[in-house]
Amino acid sequence: MSIRDAGFLSRSRILAVVTSRPFLTFAIVALVWIVASFVSRGFGAYGHLRYLVELAAVIGIVAAGQTFVVIAGGIDLSVAAIVTVAAVGLPLFAIDADPTGLTPILAVLAMTTAIGLVNGLGVALLRVHPMIMTLAMATFLQGLLIIIAGGSAVTAANPLVSWVGNARPFGVPAGILVWVVISFVVLVVMHATPFGARLFAMGAGPLAAKLSGVPIASTTMAVYGISGFMSGLAGIIVLGMNGQGYVGIGDPYLLASIAAVVLGGTSILGGLGTYAGSIPGAILLVTITALITVVNASPGWRSILFGTLILALLLLSGREAARR
Amino acid sequence: MASSVPILAARGVSKAFFGNPVLRSVSISLEPGRVHALLGENGAGKSTLINLLSGALRPDSGTIEIDGKAVSRHSPPEARRAGIAVVQQELSLTNSLSIAENIGLGAYPRRFGLVDYPALAARAKAACDLVGLHEPLSTPVGELSLGRRQMVEIAKALYRKPRVLILDEPTSSLSATETRILTTLLEKLRSEGIAILYISHRLDEVMQLCQHVTVLKDGICTADRPLEGVNAAGLVRLMVGRDPGDLFPRWDSTRTERVAVSVSRFAAGLMRDVDLEVRAGEVVGIGGLVGQGQEDLLLGLYGAIPAKAASAVIHDAAGLPANVPQANTRGLAYVPADRKREGLHLIHPIVTNLMLPAFARMPALKLRSRARERETAMGLALQFAIKGDLGRAAQALSGGNQQKVALAKWMPLDPAVLLLNDPTRGVDVETKREIYAMLRAFAAAGKAVVLLSSDTPELVHLCDRVAVVREGRVITLLERGELSEEAIVAAAMGAEPERAAA
Repeated sequence: MSIRDAGFLSRSRILAVVTSRPFLTFAIVALVWIVASFVSRGFGAYGHLRYLVELAAVIGIVAAGQTFVVIAGGIDLSVAAIVTVAAVGLPLFAIDADPTGLTPILAVLAMTTAIGLVNGLGVALLRVHPMIMTLAMATFLQGLLIIIAGGSAVTAANPLVSWVGNARPFGVPAGILVWVVISFVVLVVMHATPFGARLFAMGAGPLAAKLSGVPIASTTMAVYGISGFMSGLAGIIVLGMNGQGYVGIGDPYLLASIAAVVLGGTSILGGLGTYAGSIPGAILLVTITALITVVNASPGWRSILFGTLILALLLLSGREAARR
Repeated sequence: MASSVPILAARGVSKAFFGNPVLRSVSISLEPGRVHALLGENGAGKSTLINLLSGALRPDSGTIEIDGKAVSRHSPPEARRAGIAVVQQELSLTNSLSIAENIGLGAYPRRFGLVDYPALAARAKAACDLVGLHEPLSTPVGELSLGRRQMVEIAKALYRKPRVLILDEPTSSLSATETRILTTLLEKLRSEGIAILYISHRLDEVMQLCQHVTVLKDGICTADRPLEGVNAAGLVRLMVGRDPGDLFPRWDSTRTERVAVSVSRFAAGLMRDVDLEVRAGEVVGIGGLVGQGQEDLLLGLYGAIPAKAASAVIHDAAGLPANVPQANTRGLAYVPADRKREGLHLIHPIVTNLMLPAFARMPALKLRSRARERETAMGLALQFAIKGDLGRAAQALSGGNQQKVALAKWMPLDPAVLLLNDPTRGVDVETKREIYAMLRAFAAAGKAVVLLSSDTPELVHLCDRVAVVREGRVITLLERGELSEEAIVAAAMGAEPERAAA
């Protein structure tokens, strides 16, 4: 867009950052927060904002996996089911011999990663369309959950899970700390490793990527595996925050994860984007939900308002340019 | 008959794509009751001329005339109204629709605002009878063989009761029987006063069927005359033999005794029974008409499509690569013909395009060094004279520069064997010259180059040997001494060598 001139390099770079989608999304979040704190008393309180970010952490972690998948040209519609599997399944792995509670967590993460790898297997080797593959996986998992857990809620007596859900080291909720670490790792893998570069190439042109020697099958599996891992991690945090797991606990995170990715400027067609946009995207989503709660409306109207606002935001922050 | 007014004519039409002239002041007139042959090599401008006649493209200069009157705004609907029907080379049928629906598509008979299926069936039946299609009209077109689909395509044109019928290589997928039916049909249509433009690479058909011929070469009309008194060899000569000028580098043999690629009884995709040996330091050409399976030969060697061979040695190791990463490891690199879809990621910066093969081979989680990437890319850009800011998206580059990026990105890999698929397609002359010089330089550096090309002069001037492919087989392997455009074209078209060499 702008002509790179050596003399103005720093200036043009600042301009590039300021006009980037992640920055704009952050700016929208800040703006909404400032306006809302004047309009609604208590909205701008530190405790409330901290609570919003804590809620956003779960969406943000699911969206981290989703961002990987979307950039690589796919989509993962099984994230909600995997969140539920983790939240409901964790108590099943409880071992009395391990007082820390780490073993069940690792077991659940291994399981959800394996579910993701199966998704990747179907997409990469059996050539099932990602939408069909992950939707079928979600349906399969939901059925399994109903058989295992039935309608009853499960409680986890796991010290580590309760810590992740409730502890506030240095006044910061543990969930947010996990999110910060995850964000750092995700951004490094995405933008500073050959693996990340392969994802962008696959999303922008799978055939060109294949002919350039990118190992398509293993990369695809890795991407869905990561998404399964992230959804599992989010499920554990949700379980900790809620204290109880039940079938349907993960349901809100499917649309939320995709919306966070798209609000953050990642192309739904793949090949372009960054997790740096999904982070403010997740916070923005939670903020909108909170604002709607402030407006005293019936659940039906809240849902309509939510949908309308997301659509309006997407129209405002730029639709995708046509690609040839 | 020669004095009759042409139904459709082009007068001095020129057309350029992105500054590359494709047609230069070409005239052609299609007269009633005459089968007019249009001949030319791949890329001579035949398809562009057809598109101008059918209104799909507008000429940059010159006029299109219908019934002797110039039409200012020629368009496909306008052409259809004037009774111009085109049977395209790429089939324009919808696989899931029935034969009758495909034939009538866009011109369904209506009754009370609804499609009148009985009338459609009756009219489609009449068109099918003409071309000898006896399959039930409700058969989905997707279930038909390629040859039968071609007949549906022709029936579709006849359904519109055309005054001008343009056939772009109608017999390339037809059986002998179908070809005979078509020949008889065209004779009949001609006697009814329809003007027919017939494009074919089969010279014997042209000699038998046509009365008049127009030959295109590099977008220029080299012949416009009655077919009487011309023989096949004369036609071939009219199609080839342009002045190469200083486009090509001087050819010196740099061939060594070291075998780079050797396969026997190789099969992949359309290709069967290929025995091929490529030595280090030589450029081996793959020639033939477009779409005879040449691309499958390269893709099979590259591990991109399943392939098998009785025996294969590539770069001192036995066996064919099972996939692309393996092929890269064994020193093979492939530059695709369709650089926009297969060669590059247009929405990504030039620098990442240049680095992609390296990214594909590096350890997945090793930290990247942007500075070193930029340095490597700058080096490649300098070496290949790629003009443009490396941080910008590759789509900002011209076609020629894009092609250079598609080639340059393999250099950090230092490939021993370079597989090139039509590397100069749609590339300007200056870039062509640069690419040619690079190819010979690769060979001189002891690498093996396999050059698939639809550009015959390229094969003649750059290659040590040329394998001519026809219908999925290597039918001739021409040594340097035997290389000529006439020999390649004759072999590709299956013309008798002694007739072509006359």
